[in-house]
Amino acid sequence: MIDEKTLEIIVREVLTNLTSDKGTQNQQKTASSSLPKLDPKRDYPLAKNKPELAKSITGKTINEITLQAVREGKVLPDDLKISPETLLAQAEIAEAAGRKQLANNFRRAAELTKVPDKRILEIYNALRPYRSTKEELLAIADELDNAYGAKVCAAFVREAAEVYERRGRLKGME
Amino acid sequence: MVKTESLVEQIVKEVLKKLENVEIAAPATQSSDDANQEWEMIIEEIGEAKQGVNVDEVVIGVSPGFYIKFKKNIIGIPLGNILREIISGITEQGLKARIVRVKHTADVGFIAHTAAKLSGSGIGIGIQSRGTVAIHQKDLQPLNNLELFPQCPVLTLETYRAIGRNVALYAKGESPAPVPVQNDQMARPKYQAIAAVMHNFETKYVQTGAKPVELKVSFARKGGNKSDR
Amino acid sequence: MRSKRFEVLAKRPVNQDGIIAEWPEVGLIAVNSPNDPKPSIKIENGKIVEMDGKKREEFDMIEQFIADYAINIEMAEKAMGMDSLEIARMLVDINVPREEIVKIVSGLTPAKVVEVVNHLNVVEIMMAIQKMRAKKRPGSQAHVTNLRDNPVLIAADAAEAALRGFDELETTVGITRYAPFNALALLVGSQTGRGGVLTQDALEESFELTIGMRGFTSYAETISVYGTEQVFVDGDDTPWSKAFLASAYASRGLKMRFTSGTGSECQMGFAEGKSMLYLEARCVMIAKGAGVQGLQNGSISCIGVPGAVPGGIRAVAAENLITMMEDLEVASGNDQTFSHSDIRRTARTLLLMLPGTDLIFSGYSAVPNYDNMFAGSNFDAEDFDDYLMLQRDLMVEGGVSPVTEDEVIAVRNKAARALQSVFKKLNLPPITDEEVEAATYAHGSKDMPPRDVNADLKAATELMEKGLTGLDVVKALAESGFTDVAENVLNMLKQRIAGDYLQTSAVLDKDFNIDSAVNNSNDYKGPGTGFRLSKERWERIKNVPQALKPEDLA
Repeated sequence: MIDEKTLEIIVREVLTNLTSDKGTQNQQKTASSSLPKLDPKRDYPLAKNKPELAKSITGKTINEITLQAVREGKVLPDDLKISPETLLAQAEIAEAAGRKQLANNFRRAAELTKVPDKRILEIYNALRPYRSTKEELLAIADELDNAYGAKVCAAFVREAAEVYERRGRLKGME
Repeated sequence: MVKTESLVEQIVKEVLKKLENVEIAAPATQSSDDANQEWEMIIEEIGEAKQGVNVDEVVIGVSPGFYIKFKKNIIGIPLGNILREIISGITEQGLKARIVRVKHTADVGFIAHTAAKLSGSGIGIGIQSRGTVAIHQKDLQPLNNLELFPQCPVLTLETYRAIGRNVALYAKGESPAPVPVQNDQMARPKYQAIAAVMHNFETKYVQTGAKPVELKVSFARKGGNKSDR
Repeated sequence: MRSKRFEVLAKRPVNQDGIIAEWPEVGLIAVNSPNDPKPSIKIENGKIVEMDGKKREEFDMIEQFIADYAINIEMAEKAMGMDSLEIARMLVDINVPREEIVKIVSGLTPAKVVEVVNHLNVVEIMMAIQKMRAKKRPGSQAHVTNLRDNPVLIAADAAEAALRGFDELETTVGITRYAPFNALALLVGSQTGRGGVLTQDALEESFELTIGMRGFTSYAETISVYGTEQVFVDGDDTPWSKAFLASAYASRGLKMRFTSGTGSECQMGFAEGKSMLYLEARCVMIAKGAGVQGLQNGSISCIGVPGAVPGGIRAVAAENLITMMEDLEVASGNDQTFSHSDIRRTARTLLLMLPGTDLIFSGYSAVPNYDNMFAGSNFDAEDFDDYLMLQRDLMVEGGVSPVTEDEVIAVRNKAARALQSVFKKLNLPPITDEEVEAATYAHGSKDMPPRDVNADLKAATELMEKGLTGLDVVKALAESGFTDVAENVLNMLKQRIAGDYLQTSAVLDKDFNIDSAVNNSNDYKGPGTGFRLSKERWERIKNVPQALKPEDLA
């Protein structure tokens, strides 16, 4: 049987997470501290309730993209790429809805908005088993860090390099 | 469960039995075999597989347990007949077939990729005991391939021969039309679990880190009649 | 001499199915393999140092990933200290809210989650699914493919599937180089049938992402994960590469979910003697740890394996439930031919259809199975009326709506014409009026005139090389007078800069309103709560066109 105390603690924690955003503070120091606190119930979906936060990497907001603008050639492919700010806002909403891992994925994604399409695909392939030496993976991590300011992703790739080494999944280990 | 000891014994017995009827030669190149003639094989390992240099060769990679646990594919076609058809498809295009046993993986894509990397033409083919086949090219990603025939229950001897022909055409630098295959929606409920069982026997022969070995394959007619090819 | 009765039985469709006995040594067992680990956890300095009987130094890649990313350390000791039976009872207790269970499950290890669901019988699994599904409203997904990759037919079939009520449409190819055309035809067709339907094109990982980046698709789901390290590596990925891919999708504003399923490890020969459900629990937790919003599972393409062993179909429903307990969107399979027996295939689907999942099918074949390039689905276009009757008989939301022949013909024709115009504007190989006519009335690709495949493939390659994007499609539609379809396609493209549909279980209605686990979360707490058929929806479901009205008979 579950003891009442445990149950009480759990219920309390659930309630805390639902009613306040206390649990989210640690996670969002990365970059979103400048944004106003978002409340899933009030602000989601952003396109409807906070359209000024739903914007492209070129700074166009969702309401500026109309069929008329497209026909006049005023909308370019980059105007349909999500901005890091929007992803961080979605991260905040995910976190507030109790989804920490999803939020962290959005934060990594926010960092990757700056990495070109082709390079993203190359890095993905480099992370597949037996594709890279440890040095090659560490170089990718440095590149993510220095060229794109992608700190979380860089740490993630460094961790992969360690794991692949321990488990024999680096280039030449097959 | 595979008992190594009994297995070795079984192999030795079969080898001895067949030595009388050996035909050490390539299979017929003219027409397909008589469909009723069942072919057996004697497979000898003759050392580590070498990197090919001749552009007119393709390499056939067989799976770790090929012809050890199972002598027939998933629908009962003798593996000897299958191999003969593939080889015939290759040789009728004027190319040579070299056979290796891949030991480090039982995955048909990786077997085919390994064969392609060993092949002088850069084209290889992989085959598993249950009859699944892939055609590969050395510069592709392992899980990309030129052609894949995952539904082994629908493959006929004619299909295997056509696969051999396409392998040869790729090796010649041509872009043949992919071998047409029947699409049987109900093959999964009928055969998938059986395929899983066969594959799990197959993977028992996988040796991590082991290098592919060159094979010498001899064909013999089942029933003891000396081959008259 | 043979018994005549046994002769009759031998000829029944069910005896065409390949049924086999358990073989635990290689993991050919649905649940409770003698080799499954016992639940345990040890935490030191905020790190998991032991999980399910294994020390951290011995963790394989999957275990390390789960320990470091999937398990909520703050909850772990408390939750792991709870009795599995007690958690199982909470799952079916209407007085315990979903959020509370999600919180507890966040601290469980794979072995413990499995121990919990192993206490449930199938009815309890269904009760738990009804409560644990992340989003309140159940829905469904359809496959739209054909043997010849005919784009006109894909557009028409997509429009019909959208009209029939599917939230998502998935296509794939016979010939890889056709992929851009299939995606384009699916996009135009779907947005003709109903605005807001999400579309995907199942391809090799990096090509699929490229097509998505171009704006021809809006989501992806065929990003596979596996439960043993060897099979994961044989699948040419690692948890780290797949998690990176997940972030790559989100970075372009594309929705995505992973795919896994019981039986895949055994099928690939390296199940390490573990039960299918235990390995699948690891897959679900990899998805959770990677931070994807959802997972397609329910054995998927390996359904013949759990389907052949005792208790296999119960385990398949249990894996869907575990996905929901981990607070992920679930696209619950039912998407592959599973049995020759209509009785078995219906029973297998009812386990998910009755309680409802985010996407009951993933997907339902909206084309006849001979055209299904995912090797056939459990239900296909020829089962539409049977399925509608199941909804009507049982008063259940199955995600599909009755339609009339006239409206289907009209929408198919419009989609084919819309694609014809787009091809013309973009200088792609022409679509003739004859093809439009054929696609309008077709059942499958056998009813279509042949196309010049080589010209199509050449043009499809050029389309990618020239850098055309979804915006060019919008322009072409608008300039051809298909303003409403152009608006819908543009609205789909705009979703990617809002990112709202990246949240858990998100789909869009015809007015592009988001329906997700964030703004429409499942609040089931027993009778009178959670999802209920609205009056309007029930009117729609019960009014199948073939129902005779009393006045018609008078």
